[in-house]
Amino acid sequence: MANEIRAQKIPAWVTPPRRGSAWSLFVEDHPVLVFTLPAVVVVFILMVFPVFYTVYMSLHSWFASSLTGPEFIGLQNFKRAFTQDERFRNAIWLTLYFTVLATALQLVLGVSLALLLNRPFRGKGFFRSIFLLPMVATPVAIALVWMMMYNPTLGVMNYLVGLVGLGPYTWVSDVHLVIPALAVVDTWEWTPLITLITLAGLATLPLEPYESALIDGATPAQMFWRITLPLLRPTIMVALLFRSIDCLKTFDIIYVMTAGGPGFASETLNVYTFQVGLFYFHIGYACSLLVILFALVLGVSLILIKVRRGAW
Amino acid sequence: MRILRTFLSLGLVFGLALASSAQAAQFNWQQFKGTQLRVLLNKHPWQAGIEPHLKDFEALTGMKLIAEVYPEDQFRAKTLVELTSGASSIDVFMTMPAQEGLKYMRAGWYQPVDEFLKDASLTAPDYNWNDFLDKTRDAMVAEGKLIGPPIQVENVALMYRKDVFQKYNVKVPTTLDELEAAAKALNGKAMTDDGQPGFGIVNRGKRAAATSMFAGMLHAMGGTWLTPNREPAINSEEAIKALDMWGRLLRLYGPPGSENNHWYEASSIFSQGKAAMYTDANSLWPVIEDPQKSKVVGKVGYALFPRGPKGHSGSTVAVWGLGMPKTSKNQKAAWLFMQWATNHDQVFKVQSEKGVLGCRDSVWKDPKGKAKVPADLAESLAQGSKVGTPLWNPPVVAVAEVRDAVGAAIVTSIQGGDVRAAANKAAADMKRIMAETEKK
Repeated sequence: MANEIRAQKIPAWVTPPRRGSAWSLFVEDHPVLVFTLPAVVVVFILMVFPVFYTVYMSLHSWFASSLTGPEFIGLQNFKRAFTQDERFRNAIWLTLYFTVLATALQLVLGVSLALLLNRPFRGKGFFRSIFLLPMVATPVAIALVWMMMYNPTLGVMNYLVGLVGLGPYTWVSDVHLVIPALAVVDTWEWTPLITLITLAGLATLPLEPYESALIDGATPAQMFWRITLPLLRPTIMVALLFRSIDCLKTFDIIYVMTAGGPGFASETLNVYTFQVGLFYFHIGYACSLLVILFALVLGVSLILIKVRRGAW
Repeated sequence: MRILRTFLSLGLVFGLALASSAQAAQFNWQQFKGTQLRVLLNKHPWQAGIEPHLKDFEALTGMKLIAEVYPEDQFRAKTLVELTSGASSIDVFMTMPAQEGLKYMRAGWYQPVDEFLKDASLTAPDYNWNDFLDKTRDAMVAEGKLIGPPIQVENVALMYRKDVFQKYNVKVPTTLDELEAAAKALNGKAMTDDGQPGFGIVNRGKRAAATSMFAGMLHAMGGTWLTPNREPAINSEEAIKALDMWGRLLRLYGPPGSENNHWYEASSIFSQGKAAMYTDANSLWPVIEDPQKSKVVGKVGYALFPRGPKGHSGSTVAVWGLGMPKTSKNQKAAWLFMQWATNHDQVFKVQSEKGVLGCRDSVWKDPKGKAKVPADLAESLAQGSKVGTPLWNPPVVAVAEVRDAVGAAIVTSIQGGDVRAAANKAAADMKRIMAETEKK
């Protein structure tokens, strides 16, 4: 760039001979290339290459422990997943079940909390900070604490539900309760994120629609359903997008609390893939499961983005 | 004081010198003088016990030891990566044959030591291989070849509350029928100091984790993992009975939520005084006798895992041992180390100083050798390790995957589901997994 400008202003024959090492001249001529290269290389090595290598490996059969190299088997891994592997089908279903349940809970609670915290009251700042705390805690620590709370013999949860005449339950040891119980933990941890995003959305809402609604004699309920919620929708959709992507690939709390159990009753796709890849060393198959998980996350995100754009 | 210490250390040095010269007279420990050995160790009570003595080996042989210690997960990963690369410089590593033996042997990663053991120029006359408890020797064999010497042993055993059994006048079970009767009789009885009721029995119920303890019941019932021609036998009548009983005991007389109990949860319940019996690895005894955490210190008896209806033993013999990679350039020198680390003197030291459960009969017979562990544990361990089975894991290449398949049937049984169907499914899964991972 610098050279071009100079070339325009000064006739070519006056240009002094350029001095410096070959490298510094190269840097001067190609600043864009040189200065972005390190970042590009890092992104390529750490992100682009692994993604493509995963896709490549997903077409192979390879046990990391055997002495034979990867064997190309085309789409056999995918065929096996969709037609023969019960644990895979179970995992897909559990992943979706967990995601829908957890995000729905978080959405309702998170938006309600945000509306509540948006009202003026004494100690508002204090309560806001308190409600945001779970998000800052370490997931593994959270999981360990909840595990103790859910313990059927020693935990506090059975005492709590006992107060309202329910239980006792075995919680994460119960095939039917394990996913809802895990969704509760995820909700406890991540509702604040939805609250946070919604609060930001609430802060940007214009006042005018409310004024005219007041003049037209709308009730508070009408104002909420007809004005606040529609105006908040884009914000809520963003929060929903974040949470559903995260829920689809939840690993930490599930692995720590149940490791996919009892039996396979909480083995979501990510947990199953971990097992296949790092315990069974069936690397090729694990890669194909990862590709499927990636497609699932991408698909859900695209749908949510479309919904958000389509409506507004 | 200082003078005394000087005297002691002088005496020690002198004694060592005497001892080594006496041995050297019969056997040349110095034949690989100057060799450097790289030893990979897992963070483990045995490692902690032997490490302070490693300098004795260097003094005796004139070799240099480079010992690397890693926590278990990293240790396994490191060993696997180095062996896979085919260019490992490891000379000796700790290994658990039931977990990885078949895989490593088939991959050609182990250098079998049968020849070294037979060679009089390489094995000291006082090594006495037959002194190792019978089944601990078997446990170190894969595909008919000896991997190395065992260093630590444990069995699935019955741990029971002596006080509770006495109070309610129940006989300590020696058979599976008696085990169930005792669990039934004691379930719901007061067991803690403040009179709280406890469970009849607690065991692991978590999918894969439960299989290694369930192995005791499987073998006691007369079942096995595989038939002699390597077909899954987990759906045999004996195995189905074992699956059914493991689940039934926990469902009827065990704590709720057993399906998620690993040894950690199960041993907590037991050491909090909330269960009358617990069948798990007897190497857990330091957890149960830990005055800091346990409420049942001194109240627990250790016995053999009960026998089955036809008298089959349920003891399992799980060993850690030493192995040598084929890639080692100092195999004979490495054998000298394996031999030294497991000769009578070292086993005696590690066991009498740290209470590590060693594998030598002579040490268990020595009152000083067993002083650190409860007397009935010493007795039952030595006995169980002679009569038990080394097959605490299914003898397959893909151990982890097969354990998950069998574990699923155990969970179904705990939940009161269709055990036969679950066993058939586990057998089908095993067959598929073995076909995938053991094709030659």
